[in-house]
Amino acid sequence: MDLEKLLETGERCIHNEPPACMAGCPVHLDVIAFMTEIENGDFKKAYKLMENRIPFARIIGMICDHPCENLCVRGEIDSAVSISDLEKAAIRHGYTASKRLLALPKTKGKVAIVGGGIGGMTAAYELDKKGYQVTLYEKQERLGGRIWSYEGHELVKEVIEEELQIMMKLNIRVKLNTAINQQNLEDIIQDYDAVFLGTGSWEKKMQINPVTFQVENTSLFAGGELEDNRRSMIYAASSGKRAAISIDRYIRKVSLTASREREGAFVTPLKLKTEEVEVVNRVNKTMDVYTGIEAVDEAARCLKCQCIECIKPCSHMKRFNVSPDAYARQINHNERIILGTHYANKMINACTLCGLCKEQCFLDISMKDVIQETRESMVEKNKMPVSAHDFALKDMKFSNSHRFSMFRKQPSKEQSKDSFYYPLISYSKYVQGLYRGTGKTAYLFYPGCQLPASHPDKIGEIYKYLVAHMWEDVGIYLGCCGAPAAWAGRQELMDETIQYIKETWAEMDHPTFILACPSCCSIFKKHLPEINYISLWEVFDKHGLPNNDRITHEHTLNIHDACATRYDQRIHQSIRKIVTSLGYDIQELKYQQDKTKCCGYGGLVYYANREQAKDFIDDRIDESTNDLLVYCAMCKDLFVSSGKRTYHILDLIYGTDQEDAGMKKMPTLSQRHQNRANVKRWLLKEIWGEEEKMDHTKARNYELVISEEVIELMEDRYILFEDIEKVIDSARINKERFHNPADNSYLARLRLENVTYWVRYEESGGKIVVNRVYSHRMEVVEG
Amino acid sequence: MNEQNNQKEDGEQKEHDHQWMCDKCHEKLEMSKVRVRYLDGNFEVDLLRCPTCRMVFIGEELALGKMLEIEKGLEDK
Repeated sequence: MDLEKLLETGERCIHNEPPACMAGCPVHLDVIAFMTEIENGDFKKAYKLMENRIPFARIIGMICDHPCENLCVRGEIDSAVSISDLEKAAIRHGYTASKRLLALPKTKGKVAIVGGGIGGMTAAYELDKKGYQVTLYEKQERLGGRIWSYEGHELVKEVIEEELQIMMKLNIRVKLNTAINQQNLEDIIQDYDAVFLGTGSWEKKMQINPVTFQVENTSLFAGGELEDNRRSMIYAASSGKRAAISIDRYIRKVSLTASREREGAFVTPLKLKTEEVEVVNRVNKTMDVYTGIEAVDEAARCLKCQCIECIKPCSHMKRFNVSPDAYARQINHNERIILGTHYANKMINACTLCGLCKEQCFLDISMKDVIQETRESMVEKNKMPVSAHDFALKDMKFSNSHRFSMFRKQPSKEQSKDSFYYPLISYSKYVQGLYRGTGKTAYLFYPGCQLPASHPDKIGEIYKYLVAHMWEDVGIYLGCCGAPAAWAGRQELMDETIQYIKETWAEMDHPTFILACPSCCSIFKKHLPEINYISLWEVFDKHGLPNNDRITHEHTLNIHDACATRYDQRIHQSIRKIVTSLGYDIQELKYQQDKTKCCGYGGLVYYANREQAKDFIDDRIDESTNDLLVYCAMCKDLFVSSGKRTYHILDLIYGTDQEDAGMKKMPTLSQRHQNRANVKRWLLKEIWGEEEKMDHTKARNYELVISEEVIELMEDRYILFEDIEKVIDSARINKERFHNPADNSYLARLRLENVTYWVRYEESGGKIVVNRVYSHRMEVVEG
Repeated sequence: MNEQNNQKEDGEQKEHDHQWMCDKCHEKLEMSKVRVRYLDGNFEVDLLRCPTCRMVFIGEELALGKMLEIEKGLEDK
């Protein structure tokens, strides 16, 4: 796996980018934290946040020209949050004199500051903190410069004087009434390790580096209005602070330019969707400064800007409390571990790979692709936890074994000749279809593995419909497309599966596939681009619905689009047309079509992490206020398992008792196998007149009794009916079992592939009553 | 408190497990050192076993408790 690429993808994520206000603030006040403290009524903490960013916060907070407000996202909706007024409120309600730390010894060097305005004082303050002996030259009889022009307006004299006292408390040598001109500046430069020029103007024009504030390559630095003439107070403070960083680096002889990105104001890459933001008008002040209550209300208007577009609808990222940037870092760590625990495995196997994240992202970051690639890498390195996908892969193996898989051409005219008699041929469109047969398979019906498992009774009917309506020969092909292998990251198995489908397609002379499962559609689209396919729903839409004794209870349905069809508008449209033509009203869900959500089955999450699957199911059910309409067998089974009335589109098309169909419980894992096997047997017998050759219901000389409670255990523990049978058969034949004389029960075990199954049972008459079942993967070495 | 309860339950379970006999050999099970392995893990542990045919007994609590925990731990290594 390309970890550099992974990290780059993570770094593109804007989840952790600062809000526009903070980025645009020359001193980067943490506005979100500031607003949060005010909302919590903690003005002291809010003020501390200001003080942490700038000295003289009590002055600057009152006169700051607040470039942040012009950038506030709320400005586009109603009006910007009054950040400046809230700073004033924080000063009014939260100022406490700070306890200054003892000054450090001033051993690092000597710096002169020329100009006692906000820029010069800030630079002096910062350099003093860093351990420099600072001398400040001010031409006036007092410090403060332009600050005094606010006296009597925003600032009162006492506050200015109190704040300026800070300078006196430090070890700074302040030289008032000392005007510096170009000539004595030269002398000062000789006497000091570096000099900062913070005068509003200067007689000589200088080349000032906008990042480092260095004047050419000298020990002279200049900031404030000399560098930028916008007369911005906050910019002056920022330039003093940043020049102090440069001076420190200059004296220490380290790079002046390294890692200085985003030091001053910058444009954040953060973006936000604001369509759903409610209008809340700015809170008016009843006095000169917000009262506490007013301030709390105004701060509550802050949107706390952060991009969570992909996280918002994703049950997975919410469960693991992770954003794409952090996710990428965790995968990176997981991939690099050689010795130790791979803590991210659980998370990586809990993503449904539904792809909604990419649809939500401003930058098209697809965590689906990242996680898919990660799973493939884990498999390659033999680091994929076996238990996560083992059952699903065995289920796929079953579906591609002789027990389910098969393909047949449409019964030939020769084979069907017994049906071509009057009146059958006059009213049976199916028989007419057989009669039209040419022997060239134009279409191949591929119902997938889960639809025959969930709706076994519909497959034959659909096949007959297709023969009747397609006007060309329709064959059938039963099997699994490989979706479980793809989700599990098993590329080799996927390649084998795809290869087999291709060979069958070629053997059938390249027919168009008719697909009925959304996952098959996405697998064919991605892995089998050479094969043309059409969805069964498009066929129904185009050729008309099967005629039968359908009963419709017209009501409103929410359509849950299958996540595997996210980009297949043809399917979305066909489904809607069918539903409408059946007389139902459709109420679209917020997340639909290309923005649909996963039911919780995708990515094999249902097997790897049931709790996570449950989050997806519940989330979707919560979103839906009407009965759900789905067109994926697994979507239906999962929603119904949580008690949501859900119709598969086939329930509406073929259904006779819809009340029942909408709540029909999903078949158990064992029944799913059985149903598939039955579909094959039925088709072979009823359509092709072939008797089953396989033996999958062995004759038993006992009756197996399994209670509902044990069936639930089997479902939770992925134990099949046939596993139990094998254990009991082995125990009875080999006598390999334990006996408990206290209750006369038996306990038997059998290792099947990589799992040991245990069954506890009682024998009574010809019956075997199963009491408990469990399994483990650890191998016990006997003997 | 919880730990005590767990220990008590474990004790009861173990006592319960001792009731089982090998159905083939009609022998009482005995605690013995048995080798178990999974992925890169290979340990010797004390388990109940038939002294004659050496068939090893794994109870449900053990399979779904400690054993599962170790399996998961090894899978994430």
